[in-house]
Amino acid sequence: MKALMSLGALVGAMGLLLLAGMIFDVVPSNTVRLVEGYMPMQMLIEVACYVAGFTGLSFMLSAMGMPMPRFWQGIGFWLFFMLYLKFRVYPPIPFSVRAMYGTVSMVAVFMWISASEEDWKKFKQPIMNVLDAQTGMNKMMRYLYLVLIPILVGGFSYNAMVPKSEEPVELRTVHPAPPASTKVHGKTYVLQTSQSPYRVNPEGKYDQEYSNANIVEQGMGRLMKPNANPWDDKNQGYLKYVREGGEIFFQNCHFCHGDNLNGRGLHAFAFNPIPANFTDPGTIAQLQETFIFWRVSKGGIGLPNEGFPWASVMPPWEQHLTVDEIWKVILFEYWHTGYYPRTWD
Amino acid sequence: MMNSVTRKAGFGAVTAFGVILIATNAGTVFAQGGLPEGFKKGELAAEPSAEMIEAGKRVYFTKCVWCHGVDGAGDGPGADRLWPRPRNFNQGTFKIRHTASGELPLFDAKKPVAGQNDLFETVTHGLPGSAMPPWEGILSEEQRLQVLSFVTTQLVKDRKFTDKQSESQTILNLAELKPKAASEESKKRGSELIVEKKCVECHGMEGRGDGNAFNLKDDWGFSIQPANWHKCWNFRGSRQDPYNVSNIFRTFSTGVNGTPMPSFADNTSVDERWDIANFVNSLCERDAEGKPLPIDPLSDKPKINFVIPSDPVEGEIPADIEHEAWQKAPKRYVAMGGQITHKPRNFVNRIDDIWVRSLYNDKHIVYLVEWDDRTKSVAEAKLPWAPTQVNIDIKEQEPKTGEEGSIASNQNKYAVYNDAIAIETAVKWKELPSPIKPRYLFGTNEQFPVDIVKWEADGSVRAFLGTGWDKDFVERDTYEENLKVLKGEWKNGRWYVMIQRPVGNKKDQDYDEDTFFEVGQYIPTVFFAWDGHNGDAGRKMAVSAFYYTFMNPPIPQETYIYPVVIAFGVVLLEGWILTRRANRKKGKTL
Repeated sequence: MKALMSLGALVGAMGLLLLAGMIFDVVPSNTVRLVEGYMPMQMLIEVACYVAGFTGLSFMLSAMGMPMPRFWQGIGFWLFFMLYLKFRVYPPIPFSVRAMYGTVSMVAVFMWISASEEDWKKFKQPIMNVLDAQTGMNKMMRYLYLVLIPILVGGFSYNAMVPKSEEPVELRTVHPAPPASTKVHGKTYVLQTSQSPYRVNPEGKYDQEYSNANIVEQGMGRLMKPNANPWDDKNQGYLKYVREGGEIFFQNCHFCHGDNLNGRGLHAFAFNPIPANFTDPGTIAQLQETFIFWRVSKGGIGLPNEGFPWASVMPPWEQHLTVDEIWKVILFEYWHTGYYPRTWD
Repeated sequence: MMNSVTRKAGFGAVTAFGVILIATNAGTVFAQGGLPEGFKKGELAAEPSAEMIEAGKRVYFTKCVWCHGVDGAGDGPGADRLWPRPRNFNQGTFKIRHTASGELPLFDAKKPVAGQNDLFETVTHGLPGSAMPPWEGILSEEQRLQVLSFVTTQLVKDRKFTDKQSESQTILNLAELKPKAASEESKKRGSELIVEKKCVECHGMEGRGDGNAFNLKDDWGFSIQPANWHKCWNFRGSRQDPYNVSNIFRTFSTGVNGTPMPSFADNTSVDERWDIANFVNSLCERDAEGKPLPIDPLSDKPKINFVIPSDPVEGEIPADIEHEAWQKAPKRYVAMGGQITHKPRNFVNRIDDIWVRSLYNDKHIVYLVEWDDRTKSVAEAKLPWAPTQVNIDIKEQEPKTGEEGSIASNQNKYAVYNDAIAIETAVKWKELPSPIKPRYLFGTNEQFPVDIVKWEADGSVRAFLGTGWDKDFVERDTYEENLKVLKGEWKNGRWYVMIQRPVGNKKDQDYDEDTFFEVGQYIPTVFFAWDGHNGDAGRKMAVSAFYYTFMNPPIPQETYIYPVVIAFGVVLLEGWILTRRANRKKGKTL
């Protein structure tokens, strides 16, 4: 038990040092990388580690005869959480969202410290002591608070009232509802029933199993399967079309969506929000192939009215590409990211 | 010892130009064994294992082949629309190295040690300012070494990394050369040396890469441009650490193979190179306090603030940039990307950022826009289409032209049009709920149009109305008399343009067509920019995302009064609590 706790204490102390380093810009905040797509899980695990660390720390401190008062434990944990959100998480979260998390965590901390009558008393005690001011130290504290609190409150309200120009928070519809059908180059495609004409096996038959077996492997690098090189001249069917799709992608799409399809292309930094990241499990992996067909063909201009705030400058690719080319590009995008398109059944 | 020799040579140079040649030649600095100062002899690395090479092939054909091509000749499907073109590996010419000019870069498949593995670092950090992204976090360290094993053994065809007969390694000993403090004295000496060493001939008087920008070609005959020292985040060798002076020192010491940038190792001392590096580094854009700009780790460019504040001034808005009001006005970085929705699409975008400041008074608002453009372009040719035309049916360059027809080989051969800048603001933005912006590039529809003000290098300023993504503009002749160009000057590779427009009022202006600027409100604003020598004209241009113009209100009096009132209230509250507590303890109730 003790060994476990001291391990926890070590983790806690190290974690705190790391966070302090990030706050004072000694340690770059990307020392431990937040991996795209896994970020929420990663953050939860990190916070869990911290909590375990704090448990260990407080256990060790009380074992050494220097227990931390409940009062400071509560405040300390809440402060930690706010600092973690502000300095660890990248890209930064806007203040309004942090305020929301702050309130929720404050409620949680309150529930924790007021779980039993005794705990609550312990928490209240230091406040009461200062209020009653029996000792000289507490008296000093009381006068200090008497002066400091009005100054702080005044300062905050001044800060809040001075006109500021912070960026307004923008929300965005991620996957707007698609129409039932879409008309591209004069032909109507029903989204429910249309199929990619290039998801075919070497015999030329539509074959999802075959294509799924030949996409790149998940895991670091997302490399192609050893025997499924689209650049092999002998390819027929799926892999041949993947290569053709890749050629179109690298002539038209990578400028924004990036060489690795992660939305970090050459021009991406200029746009807001940055272009879609196909390697994120929340984008094409969640959608049907025909949905992508509709989005690619119609672009930002084709977004429905509820697709506020219309922040996409994606061109309607039907103006630059043929239907075949669009299907091939989509085929390539799924191949390169190693995802399967969602199916209707 | 060596240092003092060259320092003397340096002083001599300042006093008389004639002395320079003799002094620097005499002072040409060689350390032991005829190596340039700061360099040491190195060993060629061992050949990577066959497994590494085979594994690397798989990485190459998943990730790299699309630009660098099947044979590594830099001719993949993506190549023809890129400038700079992807590297042709066949000749073994690599830009960013620790090795002497002309030598192969450092690569050891077993040793990913920082500073000792040039190619590994290039793949890891990418080459900013080109299409080569950083592969760290995408490919594992192992995979990066594997793919380089494949490239260096199979795709570099004219040279061999392990051939002791023909290859040597003379390595810049950067780890042991402590950077010289960037003192005023050092920077001053650097600023003299860049004239003396003729850096300014290509990089320009202010280092904006505007010197001999036009006639430079790389080893393959493609047009190439000297680096702009003010955008250190675009230095190919910046290694995602753009304000690090060591990167500049390295590039200056080893040169950039395959380009006209030579190595200066033979005719400068280490001390002089630090002075030059310090000076070049000091030119990179910094914030108002002179601190490096914060760099966004996701894009490796300066972090963007989407609000462009405009400060109030009393009376006339000054047209002089040196005026105190302009010097105090916050300067914002606006990122620009190529316009690739409408034909002709701008795949190669030469204006990748502009800097915007703004001031307003009760009648007008002025934007001061500054941007780097290596060439001043005033139209030589007549625009083949009307300036209002949005849908242009034009034949674009084919994506599969081969080297002959590619963008890189035709760069700088375009008909020259006007350099230009345009500011697009939303009309009736108030009727769109706050963070909602007008739709797409050129306005939503007839009901929510945009107001476009365009300045061109021939001095003209015009106003247009955009009524939809694919609708032709409407030229607004009646509005143009309200616009005024306070300044339009090109100097040493940078445009300084000041455009004044009315803030708008119901009496003189038209609410349905003009943007009304209101104090304390977020007004959606977009910038367009054209580089005339890049063939930019019509919709071939650079575009920004939506920014907000925000006219800072003067601080109202209540801001000073209320906090005091609130603080006083808190004091009263405190008194009440304390009295209550004290009474309670005495057993009294209130």
